[in-house]
Order: sequence, then C-alpha cells, then structure tokens
Amino acid sequence: MSDGAGATAPKPSSSVKLVLLGEAAVGKSSLVLRFVNNDFQPNKEPTIGAAFLTQKCQLPNRTIKFEIWDTAGQERFASLAPMYYRNAQSALVVYDITKPSSLVKAKHWVAELQRQASPGIVIALVGNKLDLCEDDNAEAEQADAENETEEEPSTARKVSTKEAKAYADEESLLFFETSAKTGHNVSEVFTAIANAIPETSLKGPRSGAGGGTQAAISAGQDNNRVNLNARGEAGPKEGCAC
Amino acid sequence: MESLNDTQWDVVISGTGLPQSLLALALSRSGKKILHVDRNDYYGGDEAALSLSEADEWAKKHASEPTDTTSTFSHASIAQAPTDGEPGKGKLGHSRGYSLALAPQLLHSKSSLLPALVSSKTNDQLEFQAVGSWFLVNTPPDGSASQAKLTRVPGGREDVFQDATLDLKAKRSLMKFLRFVVNYEEQGDTWEEYRDKPFSSLLEDKFGLVPASHPPILALALSTKSSTDTPSKFAVPRVAKYLTSIGVFGPGFGAVLPKWGGLAEIGQVACRACAVGGGVYVLGKGISEVQQNDDSDMKIYLTDGEVVSSKWLAGVPQDLTHSLSAIQSPEPDVWMTKSISIVSSPLASLFPPTSEGGVTPAGAVIVVQPVDTAEPPVHVFAHSSESGECPKDQCILYASSARADAQGFGVLNHAVEALLQSVGESTEPQVLWSMHYRQRYTSTHDAPSTSDSVITLQSLSPDLAFDDGTLGNVRLAWQRITDGDQEAFLKFEAREGTMEDDELT
Ligand SMILES: Nc1nc2c(ncn2[C@@H]2O[C@H](COP(=O)(O)OP(=O)(O)O)[C@@H](O)[C@H]2O)c(=O)[nH]1
Ligand SMILES: [Mg+2]
Repeated sequence: MSDGAGATAPKPSSSVKLVLLGEAAVGKSSLVLRFVNNDFQPNKEPTIGAAFLTQKCQLPNRTIKFEIWDTAGQERFASLAPMYYRNAQSALVVYDITKPSSLVKAKHWVAELQRQASPGIVIALVGNKLDLCEDDNAEAEQADAENETEEEPSTARKVSTKEAKAYADEESLLFFETSAKTGHNVSEVFTAIANAIPETSLKGPRSGAGGGTQAAISAGQDNNRVNLNARGEAGPKEGCAC
Repeated sequence: MESLNDTQWDVVISGTGLPQSLLALALSRSGKKILHVDRNDYYGGDEAALSLSEADEWAKKHASEPTDTTSTFSHASIAQAPTDGEPGKGKLGHSRGYSLALAPQLLHSKSSLLPALVSSKTNDQLEFQAVGSWFLVNTPPDGSASQAKLTRVPGGREDVFQDATLDLKAKRSLMKFLRFVVNYEEQGDTWEEYRDKPFSSLLEDKFGLVPASHPPILALALSTKSSTDTPSKFAVPRVAKYLTSIGVFGPGFGAVLPKWGGLAEIGQVACRACAVGGGVYVLGKGISEVQQNDDSDMKIYLTDGEVVSSKWLAGVPQDLTHSLSAIQSPEPDVWMTKSISIVSSPLASLFPPTSEGGVTPAGAVIVVQPVDTAEPPVHVFAHSSESGECPKDQCILYASSARADAQGFGVLNHAVEALLQSVGESTEPQVLWSMHYRQRYTSTHDAPSTSDSVITLQSLSPDLAFDDGTLGNVRLAWQRITDGDQEAFLKFEAREGTMEDDELT
C-alpha cells in the first residue's frame, strides 16, 4: 500500500523484543543511542526507570523491528527486570571491559535469564568501552613482540577477551566487544541477534497468505494480529502516530 | 545505597493487579513520585500469568480453604496426566513455554480499555488477537460426555439468514430481536417491565422466540448464572455490547484477547510505562500498616519493616485491609470455580478464520449447557498456541462456573470432557495438565477507607468479559490524585525515541 522509496521492496517484517541488562554505567543506553541514532553523548544523563525505543534492522531477506527496553537504576531492587524480559526474544547483557565487577554482574543476569526468561531467548554478551583500550587491540596482533604478560599496565582493559569469550561459549551466548563511543561492532551485535532469532519464533506472514489481506492486519504482519488502529472497517485511517 | 525511605513519595500503589497497574499507567506522566509494591514475588496479582512451575507454587500457596477475607483464591490443586512414554505425542513442554492466565477475560472490541491503550501509547507494546467463534455444547439428558454435541453460534445477521436449522418465522423473530437489542437504550418501553425478569421471558413474550432458540442468544451475554437467574437488565446490555462490537476491528469477530496470558500482559505493559516515567518497582513487599498524621504525609509500614511516607496510598481492598473500616459489604461474596487445562491438540476446528482473508482467531468461547436448566452453565475459553500461552500443537482451556459447592470441580471436568469429545477429532484430545481453584469476588463498591488519602480501587468483577467499570474506577482515583481533567485521562504523546513505523534505514 505504501509507496515508499522503491529501494525497499516489501520484505517480511517481524518485531523482536530485546531487553538490555547490566550494571549501571557500563554503557547500555549509549549502545542503544548509537544503534538507534548513530550518536554518542559523553555526558548523557542516566536513564530514569527505563526507556523504550524501536529500531529496524534490515536483513537480506527480512526486516526485523527491534523493540528495545533499556533498563536502569533499579537493579538494586531486582524487581524491574522481570517485567522487561517477560516474553523477550533477545537480551543484550552488557559489561564494561575496564571493570571486572561488571562482568560478575553480567554473569548474574545471564543466569537469571536462563532461569526465568523465555526458553528460546537469544542472549548476547557484550563487553563495552573497547575504545578505552585501543592500543590493546593493536597489541593483540603482535602479541608477543615485546611483552608476554597478557594484561598491560598501560591499558585500561581489565577483562580479557579470552576470559569473556570462553564464558560466552560455555553458556552459548553471542559475544562481542564494542564501543558505543566509536560505534565499533555496535550494529554487528544487533544484526547477529536478528540472525540468531529462530525463524519459527518470528511472527511473519505464512507462505501463501500474502496478498489481499484485510484492513485489520497491518501489512507484513502475521495473520493473528488485530490492529487496534484499524477501528471501523472503512475509512482511510493513516497509521501515523504524530 | 539508596533506600526506599529516602524519597518522599506522592503515591504508593499496593499490588500489581490490573486495576493498580492501570492507575500506575495513568500516573506515569504526572511527574509524581510513585512507589509500586507487590507482596508477591511476581507481577500481576489476581490477574497474573503463570508458567508451569509458577503455577505449581501458586497452587500450593492457595491449596487450603479460604482463611480470611483477604484470600481471593482457595482449593487450588494440580493434576497431571501420567506420561506413558509415547514419544512426541501429548507431552507437556518446557515450564516456561506456558503462560497460563488467571484472568482470561475477553475484551469486547468496543471496550473502553482499548482506545485507552491506544491513546496512552501502550498499544504498540501489546498484541491483540481475535476471539472468533462461539459454540454451544449440549450434553444429552443422561449427561454422558461421549454424546455431547457442538454447534456454532451464529455470529450476526448473515449467519442467521444462512442458518438452515431456523425456519422463516424463527429467523424473522430473531432479526426483530437483533434490531431491538443493538438499540436497546432507546427502547426502554419495549423491555422496561422485563428488566428484573429472566431474559428468556423477554425473548419469548416480546419476540416470540421459542425456548429452543434462547441458548445461542444467551451465550452472547456470558452470564455465569442459569437462564432463570439471568435477568434482562444483565443480559440485554451485554448481548448488545457484543453484537455492536462485531466488525469494529475487522469482519467476523467482536472480541479480542491480549497475547501472552490474558489481562496479565496489559498490567505488565502498564507497569513498564510507569517505570519508564520513573516509577519505582519492588516485588516481595506488601503493606502491613498505615499511620495517618493530620498535618503530614502518612507513614506506610512495609512487610519487611521498612517505613515510607507518602501522600496517597492506593490498592484493591484485599491489599488495604489495615486501613479499611469495613471490608465486608452488604452484598454477599460471589464464588467462581475455575480450571485451566492444557490439551494435547491444537483443536484447530475451534479457530476458523473470522472471515475470508481475515485474521485467524486465537480465542473461542464455548458454553457448555447444563442438563438441568436451573443449573449455571460452564464457560470455556479456548486459547490456541498463537496466544503465546502454550507450545504449538496444544491449546489451553479456561473453564469457569458459578458453582462453588463440592461438585464444582466435577462439573468443570465433565464440561471439558464433553467439549473434547464433541470436537470430532479422530483421536480424542487429552488433558495433559490441569489446575483447579476457587476464586472469591468481594463486592467492594463502597468499602469505605479510614482516610481520605487511602484510595480503594475495585477488584475485577466476576464477569467473563472485561468490565469497563474497572477503568472508570481507576479514572476516579487518578482524578483524586492529580486533580486532572477527565478528558486527559490516559492521553499521552509518544515518548521521544519511540518512532512508530517510519523508515530510518
Ligand atoms: N569511553 C567510552 N565511554 C562510554 C562508552 N559507552 C558509554 N560510555 C560512557 O559511560 C557512561 C555510562 O554510560 P550509559 O550509557 O549511561 O550507561 P548505562 O547506565 O549502562 O546506560 C557515560 O558517561 C558514557 O558516556 C564507550 O563505549 N566508551
Ligand atoms: Mg542507562
């Protein structure tokens, strides 16, 4: 129906609920801001309560619309998270590679997700603030040039890639090191999650049920969803929210 | 570390059931400091959705006879079919693959809750599915389930015309009634004298409808009582609400259900919206005592001993017994007997498309007629796996009856069995797991609180469809707290960062 720019041919699109978890100040909100707005604000005020954002991710054969829940602040009461990971298909558990305690906290979140969240949830472990250890990256290439100690005193890195990766493998998590500041690996995380969501758990139009669907079904959505914006059959209601 | 009593709260909300959560949503943009607590360690209160293991725990907690006026649930038990080792066939799935609704109420498409969810910008986090077909199950006089018959209730004028079981005269009478009922508010004289009389006598005397034609009409009223105990003043508005709801969101259906566990999901989304606005959420804490001070905020004692101060306290009566002068209202409590059954088949025949090319419903309503018409019927809400409440190839049956005697559970089991036998599947579907319980509904309309700063919200009514009165009651509470204009109730702008469907990429 929409006559959007010809570049985007209609692809099946599905919504994926994603929740961000991790210790305060590891960069959860910054990762979301980078992904959604391709922006970084060094002195961003801390999230109050929680935030809800959406962003689309184009895969070769489909569009994933992420519904992102960025949690904050209330980890101390441990009561906020359950309402975010309820029915979440994916979770991004973030730690700060310059802060070992944040990995410990991340492991707690992973354990809680595995215990409480939907059985098929896709979890990505993300070590953020990679830019703070830029040199460390270069060194990895020429690891034993001059130094055999793994942890350079000169670098801010406190959690080694190897340790975190080993843990992620053990728990079957996706794993990335990112920088919300430079944007390094940020979209890769979301694309990897989009690709890892099992096709069967995506709500998409059944094959063959393509054209000629009713007004009550928003284009490209599955054929169970009732669209509350489609009040009254007739009438050209535009779905514009503004 | 910050603690809860560092903050001077404006509103403390007790319990995360639907009424309290809707209040939290309504207050989410008010700038008020909100503390929302729940004595349970899960969200949803009386409207929660449970995984299998949560249901296990829940049933243990509510296994006993009702202890006092604060207990809503009692007599809970779980039965699980023995696993006979046949691989793949009829096996329970993963505990968290289930989201069993304590509140599977359907929402009429015309319910005022739906536009409120749209205008409060929470609708985009919810998914609604159609409740499509309605059925009647009749058991023969000897009551044997194996001969039960399933018939579809005609869902509107076209259906009535095509119904081969009706003769012309019956069709005419029915059409006359349908014309009346959708405009019943303007036709007081037609039925005034029947308001307190049984609905069936209105149908018979005024519209010449023979008793045999009453059950399908009565079904649409979702009356939990027997037909003789269902007065016109109850049935007429409800039948009208359903019929005028048909087509509102698409042809062929007049009611919807929220995906993922009934009303629990709406409550969760409402709480999330409040958290986004800065509301603080704490599970596992109830309120044990409230101390009123004349010239300052009240002191609220939480169950773990912590004391917080707040201007307002709101909750349902069960959560506020300490500050209600009398929880017992003159009207007697209503009891319902309920069961939740996980069935080993998708029962696809219960979920035909709502119309050609229309949505596939995830819900169906089945009214199992009692053999003795003086008995109340059993209502069964069937939810397919598309509701997100169970794994594929299974479905959930929510059965309820207004009986609250020792035979109640047997009556429900018999009704579920009759339904499963009557759907006509070649191998009879099995109940893999079931939970039974009783639920008490205390009439709370005027449970007076001891203080002006304590607001009593109404619990949900025993109605099988969401009662819009709940929302009206929440609006009154919101107005007391905010002094807001009622026109502004639950009307919010989209929050920054939540782009709807614009193409950014
Ligand atoms: N150097 C650097 N700083 C970052 C990065 N991501 C976030 N920060 C900073 O870390 C602080 C906390 O970030 P924020 O996104 O609010 O963390 P949150 O509490 O997890 O949401 C802020 O001062 C950010 O500017 C990053 O990738 N590199
Ligand atoms: Mg943040």
